[in-house]
Amino acid sequence: MNTMVLQVRSVRHRYGHTLALDGVDLTVEAGECVALLGPNGAGKTTLVNVAVGLLPVQEGQVRIAGGDPRKAATRRRLGVVQQSVGLPRTLTVGELVGGAAIRAGVPRGASGPILAEVGLTKLAGRRARRLSGGQQQRLQLGMALVADPELLILDEPTVGLDISARRNFWRTLTRRRERGTGVLLTTHMIEEAATVADRVVVLHSGRVVAADRPDALTARLPDRTVIARTQLDPARLRNLPGVVSISVDGTFIRLGTRTPEALLRVLLAEDRTVSDLRVQGAGLEEAVMSLMNEATQEVAA
Amino acid sequence: MNARIFGIEVLDELRGILREPAALFFSILMPVGFFAFFVSLFGGQSTDGMSTATRMVATFGTFGVLSVTLMNPGIGVADDRQRGWLRAKQVSSVPVWLTLAAKVTAALPYAVGVLLAMAVTAGLTGSLRASPASLLRLAGVLLLGALPFALLGLAVGFQASPNTSAGILNAILIPSAMVSDLWMPLEILPDFIGRIAQFLPTYHLGQLALAQLNGGGLSHVLVLLGMTGVAAMLAAVSYRNVRL
Repeated sequence: MNTMVLQVRSVRHRYGHTLALDGVDLTVEAGECVALLGPNGAGKTTLVNVAVGLLPVQEGQVRIAGGDPRKAATRRRLGVVQQSVGLPRTLTVGELVGGAAIRAGVPRGASGPILAEVGLTKLAGRRARRLSGGQQQRLQLGMALVADPELLILDEPTVGLDISARRNFWRTLTRRRERGTGVLLTTHMIEEAATVADRVVVLHSGRVVAADRPDALTARLPDRTVIARTQLDPARLRNLPGVVSISVDGTFIRLGTRTPEALLRVLLAEDRTVSDLRVQGAGLEEAVMSLMNEATQEVAA
Repeated sequence: MNARIFGIEVLDELRGILREPAALFFSILMPVGFFAFFVSLFGGQSTDGMSTATRMVATFGTFGVLSVTLMNPGIGVADDRQRGWLRAKQVSSVPVWLTLAAKVTAALPYAVGVLLAMAVTAGLTGSLRASPASLLRLAGVLLLGALPFALLGLAVGFQASPNTSAGILNAILIPSAMVSDLWMPLEILPDFIGRIAQFLPTYHLGQLALAQLNGGGLSHVLVLLGMTGVAAMLAAVSYRNVRL
């Protein structure tokens, strides 16, 4: 039995003279969640568009549940939740999910359990334009789930959702994954990806620069992060010995380093007011940033 | 399967139009209002052995049908595209042509409404001289003949925003109607306008509509068939390069 619900093999895609995808390989197994990360312009949107059949496969191969994504029969096995889609304002929640059921070739009655699953039963008679952002996202998810797809592609699905809505969203997804639905997620929320994804694929300049479990990616990185409140300005901090990256997180400064002990000694000597000091291992965000920096240097070389 | 999907697509379109009828209100009210005004002034006169009111059901009716079928599907698809809904449809299992055909089909009942309102208005003035059969033929010809215009509307809607689409399509429709014998007889306009009219599909559809009341019209059918081919190609090219 084929458990691979998405297979992208050696895909290249050009826009004129610009190479947007350069031999990309990517797979999603049944029940697996794969997060696709990368900076703007890395090729994520192009890859998703090729995967869902919006763009032709110029070179390489794409299969969804073993089928050609440009065929209607294959697309019935695919659910897509896009970022900021304006749902038809005049239709109700029930009409939209019921319509999605008919379009997917399943009985309209299938929409009832789906509305319950995404928590919209009480809003079935409400028009889409009167829904909050979180409710619209849940509605889109319901419309995508009604055909019981084997693969779900989610494009920034939780942008604009509050914590509670986000948790509900992922809880629904977890139940579906337990039933075998594979998920490809594109997101800029790296720490969320670290929580929900089984594997992370990092795309840079149209190439896959890493594909591994989130903990395996962070383990590759020898960096540690020194977090503290300090009165030193960022320019001076950047010049401290051993600092490889710096970011401001509210009132805290985060300093990336491979020599945390030496940095701590210098920091305490330079600023006796340092407080709330702690050292932690690199997170997925630091690991991805590091991978992208390496990739940028390779491209430059 | 496709018939069921087509049914739900048309139903959704009709719900949309019924629940937010503002745009359609103007595309129906304007031609019917114009018609009522002119028919009250000139309806009792006669041209080429036909009462002006009867003639105007064909000519103003052509304009009325076009104002719905040219504008509504085109502006609708532009709106869907701008909101990302067209993209959502494209990644679904529903063939896009089915969605677009539903958009055009959903405009037709309103086109029938325009014709009906005009026929009733003309009837009330007591100067409508046409059999029910010829009026039915007229309606059938106009609804079928509106296809190239609907395709043209879609071609514009694939590229322009809803507001720009409305502007472009009005800029096509209004001048075309003025020089195509739809609002005023060509006889009262300069000769060169009559020569320009020969190249306009609006003129040929208007003449084909008139032919349902006084006979003839095959040459206009051929022109409109050719126009349908051209408009279909334009719509296909525009869709292939659609701005998502």
